[in-house]
Amino acid sequence: MPGTLEEASTEEPFEPLARAALTLARRVAAGGTLFSAAPAWPWHAQHVAVEFVHPVVVGARAVDAVAVPAEDPVGWLRPLARRGDVVVLVADGADRTARRLAARAALWGVTSIWLAVGEPPPVGAAHHVVHLYPDPAASFSGRAVLGYHLLWELSQLCFEHPGLLAPGPSTDTAETACVGDHCVTCSDEGRLGEVLAVAGTTARCATERGEEPVDTGLLGPLAPGDLVLIHAGVALQVLPEEALLREESVLAGELPR
Amino acid sequence: MTGAEPTGFLYPFLDRAERDEAGLLAALAASGRAKAEASATITAEALAAAAPLLADAAATIAQRIRAGGRVLTIGNGGSATDAELAAASFARPPTGRSVPARALVDDPAVLTALANDIGVEAVFARQVAAAAHPSDVLVAFSTSGNSPNLLAAIAQAHRQGLYTLGMAGHDGGAMAQCAELDCCLVVRAQSVHRVQEAQDGLLDALRHAVQAALEDLAEEAAEPKGAP
Repeated sequence: MPGTLEEASTEEPFEPLARAALTLARRVAAGGTLFSAAPAWPWHAQHVAVEFVHPVVVGARAVDAVAVPAEDPVGWLRPLARRGDVVVLVADGADRTARRLAARAALWGVTSIWLAVGEPPPVGAAHHVVHLYPDPAASFSGRAVLGYHLLWELSQLCFEHPGLLAPGPSTDTAETACVGDHCVTCSDEGRLGEVLAVAGTTARCATERGEEPVDTGLLGPLAPGDLVLIHAGVALQVLPEEALLREESVLAGELPR
Repeated sequence: MTGAEPTGFLYPFLDRAERDEAGLLAALAASGRAKAEASATITAEALAAAAPLLADAAATIAQRIRAGGRVLTIGNGGSATDAELAAASFARPPTGRSVPARALVDDPAVLTALANDIGVEAVFARQVAAAAHPSDVLVAFSTSGNSPNLLAAIAQAHRQGLYTLGMAGHDGGAMAQCAELDCCLVVRAQSVHRVQEAQDGLLDALRHAVQAALEDLAEEAAEPKGAP
């Protein structure tokens, strides 16, 4: 029998949910597209999208929302996503595809909101993590339906406060790159980048800061999609895909050396 | 928002709200907590009200599955995704035996062909006519209880001998009055969201009850018969 959210989790999800809803409303108000992805449960991604595209409440704002196919969501979203978009993930915290998608999305400038069912994802695996329910066996949906209904309802409340839809302190720095002892964006450590295009020994790379040219002369041939460690405009190392799955996530400011 | 969901607590600080991000976040968290509590209450009430019907429905469905039947699920919009979820929960449950099930909502070629050539009222009824066997079970998800294409599919399924189960909200709408519907589970709430969340709970209860009934049938079949 399904329990309430409070019974389900030792830490209440409502404050993280509130911050996620405000971020979502801000991205949408600024013209961003909402993507939804649920690699193991495609119906949840579709439900999120229809919730925002065709609201059940008459007069509610219709939002540009797209469910990303469960098959290769990284490959689908890469050409679709633009900086300022937002992706809502509905997935178990142990879902490797969801982990990869959230980490790649950060490089594409896409804010990630992870509605986590079952295991919580590692700290920093997404910009916003809302841990809904620890035991997926107790309820087939993991109460995810309740989670994304609340996300929609709270984001609608945000639209009633247009003055607060400009970027603000609590949703644009919390839970993002500047947590941890040594923030990669503030120190001289390497930063993660995804190769977008290669021309000779220069690659255009997507990073959390934007798109930037990177000198790849130290490395062998690179291809679009490769992950590289960037320092002072130079690509130092090609990183394996598993780098996105390390416990110390790239979003938490920790990079492999 | 709707009048049924009080947001008046947001208004006392409206004058200065446009700079009060912390106030908005606190109000959002409080609203989320209140809605989750309402969801849990409505779900518990729906489960209690449905308990006798669910037990009978599960026993009937289990007998049909045992006879080679399948669970076919339908719905529109968010309820279409709930129909997909339902089929997956039967066919690929996290625990217990799996129950053959398929959703009739997830093939855009079929849906658009029927909607374009005949009309949206036919998108499920024609699939039932083409695919259903008399031992199958049709489960229809609705919040209003009034969707014409669900009612058409229920009538078609009934004509073909299927067992029909519907989930509806509010007062049950037309589904509550539908003579072709063998079992109608109504979540008596106004919010579409709270209705779907309670239906999510009803679905879990139904699936567990069907699995348990199938176990009972398997045990009965395994016992020696006719011993003196």
